[in-house]
Amino acid sequence: MDIKYIDPFIQATNHVFNELFNIKPEVGKPFIMDKNQEHGWDVSAIIGIAGETKGAVVLSFPSELAHNLTSRLTGKPVPSPDEDVVDTIGEVVNIVAGNAKKGLEEYRLMISLPSIVTGRNHKIVWPGKNAPIISIPFQSELGAFSLSVVLENIIG
Amino acid sequence: MRILVVDDSRIMRNIIKNTLMYLHQPDDEYLEAADGVEALDLLLKNQVDLVLLDWNMPKLNGLELVKKLRAMEQFQNLPIIMITSEAAKYNVIEAIKEGVNDYLVKPVSERGLLAKIKRVFPNL
Repeated sequence: MDIKYIDPFIQATNHVFNELFNIKPEVGKPFIMDKNQEHGWDVSAIIGIAGETKGAVVLSFPSELAHNLTSRLTGKPVPSPDEDVVDTIGEVVNIVAGNAKKGLEEYRLMISLPSIVTGRNHKIVWPGKNAPIISIPFQSELGAFSLSVVLENIIG
Repeated sequence: MRILVVDDSRIMRNIIKNTLMYLHQPDDEYLEAADGVEALDLLLKNQVDLVLLDWNMPKLNGLELVKKLRAMEQFQNLPIIMITSEAAKYNVIEAIKEGVNDYLVKPVSERGLLAKIKRVFPNL
């Protein structure tokens, strides 16, 4: 596994959580995720990557953390409506993917608009039949979340 | 000053507007659009002094809007600051080439945004 291409996404995630939420998450050990295995997350924000490679960046959360992040961003202590949660985590994954491009400038990449999938153990349609999904666990003061990245023909 | 904030995230538009409150310009007025089509419509109907523009949006993205605006005589000198997650140098260069006045990478800090606005409006 070449961490060189994963590192920009980890750095971007740390930066975004620090700047937007004043959270300094701890990064766990990356592993190759089995796409058929249940992951246990409630909500994922997905950005597709196109251009000189195909891929995806996914941030997955338990719903409580997604709501808490939204409340922190909106400044509203009450549970946030779903519309705000979708807006928040969509924007977070958008910023992570866009910021990570700075560390991958040897490839000309384009990012899609975010999409959100909800439901315990929701299915994600991953690009690339055989490309490995690299998953990085994060732990924060508000709970655990996960960053997963696929970059066809670059990672793996 | 009338400022148009264009971003498909309502929460991000609010963050940008709240940040701008630090300028303490009591006469400032804000317009909002969630995509390039809405923004163009507002620009054609209102006198706007500054556009704060996201890149990745549905319908018409920020870069496509800049190209359209710079091709229209009445918008050739309209100040536009792009505020986007797109951090790659080739994106910055592309946006500047198409005519944005300045470029700011999200997440936006108060200091960063105000510095960019003061570069465009030195007398503020």
